Amino acid sequence: MPDDALGRPYGVPTRREPVVPNGVMGMLIFVATEVMFFSGLISAFVIGKSNALGGWPPPGQPRLPIEETALNTAALLASGVALFFANRAFQKDSPHTKRLLGLAIGLGGVFVLFQGAEWVALIGEGLTITSGQLGGYFYLLVGTHALHVVAGFLILLYTYRKLSEHELDRFTFWPAQIFWYFVVGVWPILYWQVYL
Amino acid sequence: MPVWMRFTRASLALAAVAVAWAADLAYACPSCASPLEENRQAFVDTTVFLTVVPLAMMGGFVWWIRRKLREQDELPEIAVPPNLLRDAGRFSKRP
Repeated sequence: MPDDALGRPYGVPTRREPVVPNGVMGMLIFVATEVMFFSGLISAFVIGKSNALGGWPPPGQPRLPIEETALNTAALLASGVALFFANRAFQKDSPHTKRLLGLAIGLGGVFVLFQGAEWVALIGEGLTITSGQLGGYFYLLVGTHALHVVAGFLILLYTYRKLSEHELDRFTFWPAQIFWYFVVGVWPILYWQVYL
Repeated sequence: MPVWMRFTRASLALAAVAVAWAADLAYACPSCASPLEENRQAFVDTTVFLTVVPLAMMGGFVWWIRRKLREQDELPEIAVPPNLLRDAGRFSKRP
Protein backbone atom coordinates (compact mmCIF):
# COMPACT_ATOMS: atom_id res chain seq x y z
CA MET A 1 0.00 0.00 0.00
CA PRO A 2 1.43 3.47 -0.89
CA ASP A 3 2.15 5.83 1.97
CA ASP A 4 3.01 9.47 2.66
CA ALA A 5 6.23 11.22 3.78
CA LEU A 6 5.78 9.96 7.35
CA GLY A 7 5.24 6.39 6.18
CA ARG A 8 1.50 6.40 6.98
CA PRO A 9 -0.78 4.38 4.70
CA TYR A 10 -3.17 6.55 2.66
CA GLY A 11 -6.70 6.93 3.91
CA VAL A 12 -6.20 5.23 7.26
CA PRO A 13 -6.49 7.37 10.40
CA THR A 14 -3.29 6.89 12.39
CA ARG A 15 -2.11 8.07 15.77
CA ARG A 16 0.39 10.90 15.62
CA GLU A 17 3.89 9.92 16.64
CA PRO A 18 5.71 12.15 19.14
CA VAL A 19 7.82 14.83 17.42
CA VAL A 20 10.91 13.48 19.13
CA PRO A 21 11.01 9.80 20.19
CA ASN A 22 11.62 9.30 23.92
CA GLY A 23 14.98 7.60 23.40
CA VAL A 24 16.23 10.42 21.20
CA MET A 25 14.99 13.07 23.66
CA GLY A 26 16.69 11.29 26.56
CA MET A 27 19.94 10.95 24.67
CA LEU A 28 19.86 14.61 23.55
CA ILE A 29 19.44 15.76 27.15
CA PHE A 30 22.26 13.46 28.24
CA VAL A 31 24.55 14.67 25.46
CA ALA A 32 23.74 18.31 26.37
CA THR A 33 24.99 17.64 29.90
CA GLU A 34 28.05 15.94 28.46
CA VAL A 35 28.75 18.94 26.23
CA MET A 36 28.71 21.17 29.31
CA PHE A 37 30.91 18.72 31.19
CA PHE A 38 33.53 18.72 28.43
CA SER A 39 33.19 22.49 28.03
CA GLY A 40 34.06 22.85 31.70
CA LEU A 41 37.07 20.57 31.37
CA ILE A 42 38.32 22.35 28.24
CA SER A 43 37.84 25.77 29.88
CA ALA A 44 39.82 24.63 32.93
CA PHE A 45 42.56 23.40 30.63
CA VAL A 46 42.67 26.67 28.65
CA ILE A 47 42.95 28.68 31.88
CA GLY A 48 45.59 26.31 33.27
CA LYS A 49 47.57 26.44 30.05
CA SER A 50 47.57 30.24 29.96
CA ASN A 51 48.61 30.33 33.62
CA ALA A 52 51.61 28.02 33.15
CA LEU A 53 54.93 29.67 33.87
CA GLY A 54 57.64 28.79 31.37
CA GLY A 55 55.27 28.28 28.44
CA TRP A 56 53.21 25.37 27.19
CA PRO A 57 53.89 22.47 26.96
CA PRO A 58 55.93 22.73 30.16
CA PRO A 59 59.67 22.20 29.63
CA GLY A 60 61.11 18.82 30.56
CA GLN A 61 57.91 16.93 29.79
CA PRO A 62 57.51 14.31 27.02
CA ARG A 63 56.04 15.61 23.74
CA LEU A 64 52.63 14.34 22.69
CA PRO A 65 52.54 12.33 19.43
CA ILE A 66 50.85 14.87 17.13
CA GLU A 67 51.20 13.10 13.76
CA GLU A 68 50.21 9.63 14.96
CA THR A 69 47.21 11.04 16.79
CA ALA A 70 46.22 12.95 13.63
CA LEU A 71 45.91 9.58 11.87
CA ASN A 72 43.93 8.24 14.80
CA THR A 73 41.68 11.31 14.62
CA ALA A 74 41.08 10.54 10.95
CA ALA A 75 40.08 6.97 11.92
CA LEU A 76 37.55 8.27 14.45
CA LEU A 77 36.12 10.80 11.97
CA ALA A 78 35.88 8.06 9.34
CA SER A 79 34.00 5.97 11.88
CA GLY A 80 31.44 8.77 12.22
CA VAL A 81 31.09 8.98 8.43
CA ALA A 82 30.66 5.19 8.19
CA LEU A 83 27.93 5.36 10.83
CA PHE A 84 26.19 8.14 8.88
CA PHE A 85 26.11 5.98 5.76
CA ALA A 86 25.08 2.95 7.85
CA ASN A 87 22.04 4.95 8.96
CA ARG A 88 21.19 5.88 5.37
CA ALA A 89 21.49 2.24 4.36
CA PHE A 90 19.35 1.24 7.36
CA GLN A 91 16.60 3.67 6.32
CA LYS A 92 16.58 2.11 2.84
CA ASP A 93 16.64 -1.39 4.35
CA SER A 94 19.86 -1.99 2.42
CA PRO A 95 22.02 -5.08 3.03
CA HIS A 96 25.06 -2.75 3.29
CA THR A 97 23.90 -1.57 6.73
CA LYS A 98 25.66 -4.36 8.57
CA ARG A 99 28.93 -3.88 6.72
CA LEU A 100 28.93 -0.11 7.28
CA LEU A 101 28.01 -0.44 10.94
CA GLY A 102 30.77 -3.02 11.31
CA LEU A 103 33.21 -0.60 9.68
CA ALA A 104 32.17 2.18 12.09
CA ILE A 105 32.68 -0.15 15.07
CA GLY A 106 36.01 -1.38 13.69
CA LEU A 107 37.36 2.16 13.23
CA GLY A 108 36.18 3.04 16.74
CA GLY A 109 38.06 -0.01 17.99
CA VAL A 110 41.21 1.09 16.14
CA PHE A 111 40.97 4.48 17.89
CA VAL A 112 40.64 2.88 21.34
CA LEU A 113 43.55 0.48 20.70
CA PHE A 114 45.80 3.25 19.41
CA GLN A 115 44.96 5.43 22.39
CA GLY A 116 45.87 2.55 24.71
CA ALA A 117 49.21 2.06 22.92
CA GLU A 118 49.86 5.84 23.08
CA TRP A 119 49.18 5.89 26.82
CA VAL A 120 51.54 2.97 27.43
CA ALA A 121 54.29 4.77 25.49
CA LEU A 122 53.70 8.08 27.30
CA ILE A 123 53.70 6.44 30.73
CA GLY A 124 56.96 4.75 29.71
CA GLU A 125 58.39 8.20 28.92
CA GLY A 126 57.42 9.42 32.36
CA LEU A 127 54.18 11.27 31.63
CA THR A 128 51.80 10.25 34.41
CA ILE A 129 48.79 11.90 35.97
CA THR A 130 50.97 13.13 38.85
CA SER A 131 54.05 14.12 36.82
CA GLY A 132 52.86 17.69 36.30
CA GLN A 133 50.18 19.93 34.84
CA LEU A 134 50.55 18.45 31.34
CA GLY A 135 50.10 14.87 32.56
CA GLY A 136 47.25 15.80 34.87
CA TYR A 137 45.28 17.63 32.18
CA PHE A 138 46.17 15.12 29.46
CA TYR A 139 44.93 12.06 31.33
CA LEU A 140 41.88 13.91 32.66
CA LEU A 141 40.71 15.23 29.27
CA VAL A 142 41.81 12.40 26.99
CA GLY A 143 40.96 9.77 29.60
CA THR A 144 37.43 11.10 30.04
CA HIS A 145 36.98 11.06 26.28
CA ALA A 146 38.43 7.54 26.06
CA LEU A 147 35.84 6.35 28.62
CA HIS A 148 33.13 7.81 26.41
CA VAL A 149 34.58 6.14 23.32
CA VAL A 150 34.55 2.77 25.09
CA ALA A 151 30.93 3.35 26.18
CA GLY A 152 29.96 4.35 22.63
CA PHE A 153 31.82 1.36 21.24
CA LEU A 154 29.81 -0.97 23.51
CA ILE A 155 26.55 0.76 22.51
CA LEU A 156 27.39 0.29 18.82
CA LEU A 157 28.24 -3.37 19.46
CA TYR A 158 24.80 -3.74 21.05
CA THR A 159 23.12 -2.18 17.99
CA TYR A 160 25.16 -4.50 15.75
CA ARG A 161 23.92 -7.52 17.69
CA LYS A 162 20.35 -6.24 17.42
CA LEU A 163 20.82 -5.71 13.68
CA SER A 164 22.18 -9.25 13.29
CA GLU A 165 19.10 -10.59 15.06
CA HIS A 166 16.84 -8.42 12.82
CA GLU A 167 15.58 -6.64 15.93
CA LEU A 168 17.12 -3.21 15.43
CA ASP A 169 14.62 -0.37 15.14
CA ARG A 170 15.24 3.35 14.59
CA PHE A 171 14.28 4.15 18.21
CA THR A 172 17.33 2.18 19.34
CA PHE A 173 19.63 3.11 16.46
CA TRP A 174 19.13 6.90 16.57
CA PRO A 175 20.12 7.44 20.24
CA ALA A 176 23.19 5.23 19.70
CA GLN A 177 24.15 7.38 16.72
CA ILE A 178 23.68 10.63 18.63
CA PHE A 179 26.06 9.44 21.32
CA TRP A 180 28.66 8.30 18.79
CA TYR A 181 28.46 11.57 16.82
CA PHE A 182 29.03 13.42 20.09
CA VAL A 183 32.10 11.27 20.88
CA VAL A 184 33.43 11.80 17.34
CA GLY A 185 32.60 15.53 17.31
CA VAL A 186 34.24 16.44 20.60
CA TRP A 187 37.54 14.71 19.76
CA PRO A 188 38.88 17.22 17.15
CA ILE A 189 38.35 20.01 19.71
CA LEU A 190 40.31 18.04 22.32
CA TYR A 191 43.03 17.24 19.76
CA TRP A 192 43.32 20.89 18.80
CA GLN A 193 43.47 22.07 22.40
CA VAL A 194 45.61 19.33 23.98
CA TYR A 195 47.94 18.20 21.20
CA LEU A 196 48.46 21.24 18.96
CA MET B 1 0.44 37.98 64.15
CA PRO B 2 1.67 36.23 67.32
CA VAL B 3 4.58 37.75 69.19
CA TRP B 4 6.84 34.71 68.68
CA MET B 5 6.36 34.92 64.89
CA ARG B 6 7.23 38.63 64.86
CA PHE B 7 10.26 37.90 66.99
CA THR B 8 11.40 35.10 64.61
CA ARG B 9 10.98 37.32 61.56
CA ALA B 10 12.84 40.19 63.14
CA SER B 11 15.66 37.81 64.16
CA LEU B 12 15.94 36.42 60.63
CA ALA B 13 16.00 39.92 59.13
CA LEU B 14 18.68 40.95 61.62
CA ALA B 15 20.73 37.84 60.80
CA ALA B 16 20.47 38.58 57.07
CA VAL B 17 21.68 42.16 57.62
CA ALA B 18 24.54 40.91 59.82
CA VAL B 19 25.65 38.38 57.16
CA ALA B 20 25.47 41.03 54.42
CA TRP B 21 27.51 43.40 56.60
CA ALA B 22 30.17 40.79 57.34
CA ALA B 23 30.57 39.65 53.75
CA ASP B 24 33.71 40.81 51.99
CA LEU B 25 35.31 40.37 48.60
CA ALA B 26 36.50 36.79 48.04
CA TYR B 27 39.36 36.36 45.59
CA ALA B 28 38.31 32.82 44.73
CA CYS B 29 38.92 33.20 41.01
CA PRO B 30 42.60 32.64 40.22
CA SER B 31 42.37 34.36 36.83
CA CYS B 32 40.19 37.42 37.41
CA ALA B 33 42.96 39.46 38.98
CA SER B 34 45.89 37.78 37.22
CA PRO B 35 48.70 40.09 36.09
CA LEU B 36 49.21 37.88 32.99
CA GLU B 37 47.35 39.33 30.01
CA GLU B 38 47.12 35.89 28.35
CA ASN B 39 45.51 34.46 31.47
CA ARG B 40 42.95 37.27 31.71
CA GLN B 41 42.12 36.82 28.03
CA ALA B 42 41.70 33.04 28.56
CA PHE B 43 39.32 33.80 31.43
CA VAL B 44 37.23 36.10 29.23
CA ASP B 45 37.26 33.61 26.33
CA THR B 46 36.15 30.66 28.47
CA THR B 47 33.46 32.77 30.14
CA VAL B 48 32.06 33.68 26.72
CA PHE B 49 32.38 30.04 25.58
CA LEU B 50 30.59 28.64 28.64
CA THR B 51 27.83 31.26 28.25
CA VAL B 52 27.28 30.75 24.54
CA VAL B 53 27.38 26.91 24.45
CA PRO B 54 24.27 26.22 26.59
CA LEU B 55 22.33 29.06 24.95
CA ALA B 56 23.23 27.77 21.48
CA MET B 57 22.23 24.22 22.47
CA MET B 58 18.88 25.28 23.90
CA GLY B 59 18.20 27.68 21.01
CA GLY B 60 19.10 25.00 18.47
CA PHE B 61 16.88 22.47 20.19
CA VAL B 62 13.87 24.84 20.29
CA TRP B 63 14.40 25.73 16.61
CA TRP B 64 14.61 22.03 15.66
CA ILE B 65 11.44 21.13 17.63
CA ARG B 66 9.55 24.05 16.04
CA ARG B 67 10.62 22.90 12.58
CA LYS B 68 9.50 19.32 13.30
CA LEU B 69 6.17 20.56 14.66
CA ARG B 70 5.57 22.71 11.56
CA GLU B 71 6.39 19.77 9.30
CA GLN B 72 3.90 17.66 11.21
CA ASP B 73 1.24 20.41 11.15
CA GLU B 74 1.54 20.74 7.38
CA LEU B 75 0.56 17.11 6.90
CA PRO B 76 -3.14 16.23 7.16
CA GLU B 77 -4.35 14.06 10.06
CA ILE B 78 -5.09 11.26 7.60
CA ALA B 79 -2.53 10.45 4.92
CA VAL B 80 -3.96 11.45 1.52
CA PRO B 81 -2.31 11.02 -1.91
CA PRO B 82 -0.81 14.34 -3.10
CA ASN B 83 -3.06 14.58 -6.18
CA LEU B 84 -6.18 14.44 -4.00
CA LEU B 85 -4.69 16.95 -1.60
CA ARG B 86 -4.13 19.42 -4.48
CA ASP B 87 -7.73 19.02 -5.59
CA ALA B 88 -9.06 19.82 -2.13
CA GLY B 89 -8.94 23.57 -2.94
CA ARG B 90 -9.31 25.91 -0.02
CA PHE B 91 -9.70 22.96 2.37
CA SER B 92 -6.18 21.87 1.56
CA LYS B 93 -3.48 22.83 4.05
CA ARG B 94 -1.02 23.16 1.19
CA PRO B 95 -1.17 26.08 -1.27
